Amino acid sequence: MQIRRVASDCRTLLTASVIVALTLLAGCTTRGSSGTQAGVPAAAAGIGAGDRSGPGPGHIPSRPAQTAVSLSETGSTLLYPLFGDWASAYHHQFPNVSFTTAATGSGTGIAEASAGTADIGASDAFLSSGNLVANPGLLNIPLAIAAQQVNYNLPGLGPGVHVRLNGAVLAQIYRGQITTWNDRAIAKLNPGVSLPGIKIVPLHRAESSGDTFLFSSYLSTDDPLWNSTIGYGTTVAWPHAARARAEEGNDGMLAGCTAIPGCIAYIGISYLSQALKAGLGEAELQNAAGQFTLPAGPSLRAAVASFVPATPANETISMVNGPARTGYPIVNYEYAIVASRQRSAAKARDVKAFLHWAITAGNSARYLDRVRFEPLPAAVSSLADAQIARIR
Amino acid sequence: MTAVAPPGQAGVPQPRTPQTGTSQPPAGPEARQATQRRRRPRAAGTPAILRLLLIALTAGSVAWGVVGAWAVSQHASAADQVVTAIEPLSLDAQQMYRSLSDADVTATTSFLAGPPEPLGVRQHFEADIARAAADLAALRNSRAVAGSSPTAARIDAALAAISASLPVYTGYVTQAKTYSSLGYPLTGGSFMQVASEEMHLHLLPAARSVYAQVNAALAAESAQATGLPWIVVAVGLALAVGIALVRTQRWLRRRTHRTVNYGLLTATLAVAISAIWMVTAFAIARSDFEQGLGHGSSPAEALAQAGISAQQARGDEVLNLISRSGSTSFQQDFTAMRTRIGPGPGSLLDTAGASSPAGTSARAVAAAGHDASAWYAVASRVFKLDLASNYAAETQLVIGTGPGSSSRGFTRLESDIGRAIGADQIVFHQHATAGRGAFANLEAAVIVAALLMAAGAAWGLSRRLAEYR
Repeated sequence: MQIRRVASDCRTLLTASVIVALTLLAGCTTRGSSGTQAGVPAAAAGIGAGDRSGPGPGHIPSRPAQTAVSLSETGSTLLYPLFGDWASAYHHQFPNVSFTTAATGSGTGIAEASAGTADIGASDAFLSSGNLVANPGLLNIPLAIAAQQVNYNLPGLGPGVHVRLNGAVLAQIYRGQITTWNDRAIAKLNPGVSLPGIKIVPLHRAESSGDTFLFSSYLSTDDPLWNSTIGYGTTVAWPHAARARAEEGNDGMLAGCTAIPGCIAYIGISYLSQALKAGLGEAELQNAAGQFTLPAGPSLRAAVASFVPATPANETISMVNGPARTGYPIVNYEYAIVASRQRSAAKARDVKAFLHWAITAGNSARYLDRVRFEPLPAAVSSLADAQIARIR
Repeated sequence: MTAVAPPGQAGVPQPRTPQTGTSQPPAGPEARQATQRRRRPRAAGTPAILRLLLIALTAGSVAWGVVGAWAVSQHASAADQVVTAIEPLSLDAQQMYRSLSDADVTATTSFLAGPPEPLGVRQHFEADIARAAADLAALRNSRAVAGSSPTAARIDAALAAISASLPVYTGYVTQAKTYSSLGYPLTGGSFMQVASEEMHLHLLPAARSVYAQVNAALAAESAQATGLPWIVVAVGLALAVGIALVRTQRWLRRRTHRTVNYGLLTATLAVAISAIWMVTAFAIARSDFEQGLGHGSSPAEALAQAGISAQQARGDEVLNLISRSGSTSFQQDFTAMRTRIGPGPGSLLDTAGASSPAGTSARAVAAAGHDASAWYAVASRVFKLDLASNYAAETQLVIGTGPGSSSRGFTRLESDIGRAIGADQIVFHQHATAGRGAFANLEAAVIVAALLMAAGAAWGLSRRLAEYR
């Protein structure tokens, strides 16, 4: 018995040492797996005065470093004006922080943030699983609530009148089955509104776009035929509609619609003020509960509120045509795409401090109202802070 | 007893020194005197030498018994550990890994097909999760990999991560199905993506780590079963005892003119037989384990990796269709997986093919290569349709089950790989069992031989010693 015990002890030692060697070898060949826990060393950040503990073990500094700091942002054109305002306000508050922002499109924002050529990628959409599997260190952190409206150019309509539309009718318009504004299907949704008999010119985006994704998603959830034949995506195979036109960017959609009476276009909410100023109308869209709503503060907040309790930790959630009774159907979060592993502790600190500022001070009406975004619900802010705390 | 010679005759030391054995007695009276002076202590010394030899040879025999039996028990228990503990564990780890990955593919595919979920698909998913959970429990309860080693710590950490992550994953899948069935397919789709991310970023890497660690333990334990140092020590000892026995017999023969000492002869035969038995058993076991690892375990491992990569590639097709983000990352990952799986130089299928034994396994690997190529052809049509935003046709090609569909291609590849792994595992198990069998009865044989040796040496030498009393 004694001998066996000694033998087994020796074997344990031997086996252990062989396994360690093999494991080290194996470690060199396995695909890089991500650190999945929020085990953020406090040393990376949280050294300045007035720091507060974020949720979890990570800390979120409340201010950037005292030394010269430069932060770069690129991506979504919808977020660009807001980022401009944020950047100047943040620079005003912390003069040592200089900010560069660029409107390059969400795809570029994601690509540059994942390549590390920009500190923050701005995106109208959360990351796809493909992006995450290719780059597991990326985070998508919501910054604000956004929405998409449907604008039209119907000069004869009285002031304060909003044409009511739903996904099924919009699908028929974009399929080329409804061609005039006084079509029975539209009239049925708009009792008492005298709709003109002019031709409908449906505009859609020429390039791959998050706006197309949101709009085609709404159509897909409301119209089974659209869903089974065209579907949703950042690009879709637009069906043949006689007067349909493709436009580049929200600018193009706005300019095109302003120029063409009878047009209809889907446009990001940060362009709503410009659209209204240009004389375009704003449609009331029917939500899943059957209510017609305009994209405004309460309807946006209501739409998002129904999803708040279910929001997963990584805050990837599609909220199109949700269950809220008074909610507007096409809502989304605007995201900052950030690498959880920054080049240096100093960079991590500065990125964290700014992002936390953006979802707190930066979420005030002073900044959001101009682009008609809505602040994040408190619970979503907490989840965002938990994600920010993971940056190191 | 009659054979015992009276002292002064055969028992009397001969006028030859046992050391040289060839020197002639010196002539002349001075020389004789000198010889007699030397004889007296020698006459007194022979019993002392015999006593010393008796003690030394008995001790040597016992030492051979202890060291030899110990070495055999070491190798035999390592071989037994491989066959009865670590090999099943490795199967559990591999099955857990594949079940998780399969659950992901099943869930995403069924989600894409839309509600209502067919009963069979739901059962398939639930069976995957149940199997993964059962394997997880088996792995957590197993103490086959030494509890305090760094490997065990790493395995424990990875298993704990899986335990924590599995309910999160199934929770997201449930959310996805719930939202989808309530009429919010986009929200459901985003939950499906989150679920899949949980799988690919947390669960699968942890499962892969468990599998790699257990396989490392399997290789280490197999190496231990046939490792060199102890067997060399034991055989060295046997050789030393054997030489001592032979030399003692030669010395005795010269001293006593007795040609055969049956006690010592028995001891010599016993050490020779047991040592040869040990070396032979060891050589057989070593060759068996090498065969098992080379032609069973290592192709099975390459195939398991190929299977997981195929599942990931299938996931790329399906998730690309769910997310429709416009990013080409899924297609890029599919291409990377395709290169990894093969066929092609350096690919997993080629690696497995090169080491697979002829027969079922080799045939299945060849079929896998064939089916993989056919599937890739369908997948490239899938990604072309995606580029053209023809989601309806793409969906049909991805989730349809008819001939020429991606599902069919993937399923065929999967089943080829599964068959090949099964065949390789049988090969490993057969070799490992044979290797373990080589050590059968050896420990007892060494002990019996050692006892025989000790008894033979003691008997043979004590008889000579008795002649001096």
